[in-house]
Amino acid sequence: MKNPLIIIITVIILTITFFVSTDTPFFVKGYTKLKDSVSIIAGPGLILMNRITQGTRDTIDLYVNLTNVKKENATLKKKLEALQLENQRLAEFERESQRLKDILSFSQHNPNTLIAAHVTGEDIKNWFKCIIIDKGSNYALREKMNVITPRGLVGQVIEAHRWHAKIMVINDTNSSVDVFIDGRNTRGILEGTGQAKLKLKYVRKTDEAEIGDKLVTSGKDTIYQKGLPVGIITTITRGQAGIFADIDVVPFNDFKKLEEVLVIKK
Amino acid sequence: MRALLYICIGIILSILESAIFTFLPFEFFKPDLGLPLILYVSFFLEPQVGLIVSIFIGLTQEVFSSAPHGSIFFTKLSLFLIALFLKNKVYVDTKYSFSYYCGIFVIIESFLFIALSLVARGDTKNMLNVLFYTLPNAVFTGFLSLFVLPLVSYVNVKLSSRG
Repeated sequence: MKNPLIIIITVIILTITFFVSTDTPFFVKGYTKLKDSVSIIAGPGLILMNRITQGTRDTIDLYVNLTNVKKENATLKKKLEALQLENQRLAEFERESQRLKDILSFSQHNPNTLIAAHVTGEDIKNWFKCIIIDKGSNYALREKMNVITPRGLVGQVIEAHRWHAKIMVINDTNSSVDVFIDGRNTRGILEGTGQAKLKLKYVRKTDEAEIGDKLVTSGKDTIYQKGLPVGIITTITRGQAGIFADIDVVPFNDFKKLEEVLVIKK
Repeated sequence: MRALLYICIGIILSILESAIFTFLPFEFFKPDLGLPLILYVSFFLEPQVGLIVSIFIGLTQEVFSSAPHGSIFFTKLSLFLIALFLKNKVYVDTKYSFSYYCGIFVIIESFLFIALSLVARGDTKNMLNVLFYTLPNAVFTGFLSLFVLPLVSYVNVKLSSRG
């Protein structure tokens, strides 16, 4: 054994970390402070890197568009090519503008309660479904705040660091949302599966539920506000054993393509 | 100085991992870019450098993950300890053998995470999800380690020549 001291130190740290994993408050408190200090360095780095990657992506998109335009309009004059390129850029601006207008209109209906944030990253492991936004405790974000888009529910804030916050998306395996079927007297628990589809659980086979029904939050879980649209039922299986139906739900949001989100201040 | 440089590389790689993969449409493959760095410092550098680098990479990765408190930190530090025990016992002569060990360590990390979840919190909810991604992650991490290894080796050679 060449490095007994290093091994002893590592084992001690591992033991402390084990207690952190068991959610022992004393250890978690200290560990959170340690993580916060690392996040002060890493948070701005993520925002910067996001801007660089966003810029690179825009340049690549522009290049791809330019190549396509050249292929399609090989015989046209340079002026026309420039105009078409400009047109494409305008279309992109229009889409962005529409998206931002939607967010703005939503914010105007809910004044002083919403904070718009930009998605800067995602969970480093694909074991969990989490997105990272560019607003944190510097914008008074706190745990359990609801995160939405004009289309529907995204998830909840699980950690707010100084420069960024982590959002647990509703398709994470640790996520559960109390929902009811819009227009019907049926309630259930919507659980994440770690995949694109969600599972609506504890709905009895005799309960009213049809494919195409929309789900909204019930507010009974005390985390999510009442009435937020969540997703749509895509399959219902009542043939299996047991008293509950097997129901698949597709969320309204495509969590892989989110660019901006809104955090509801409590 | 050496540890600081590897910590910086680790933080940059973790940030890259979190920022870039938002734009890529697939999530079936997700590499762990911090792992090749931990293995490199554990296998080839002084153990104290390995310990410091593992601690910082573990913490940084946890900052960018919704994993339960301490879980990624725990697995990263355990991997460092395992690598330390395997030092001088495994034969890493080419970047391909290094890539092979990176893949193996990703699989070990997944099982360590599952074991920790079970023992510390009795949590079995995410077990299938972790197992589902283990092999693709191992393959992709192994592949990308072929590019990470020359980078960290280059840094090491530059530092040694200056020292």
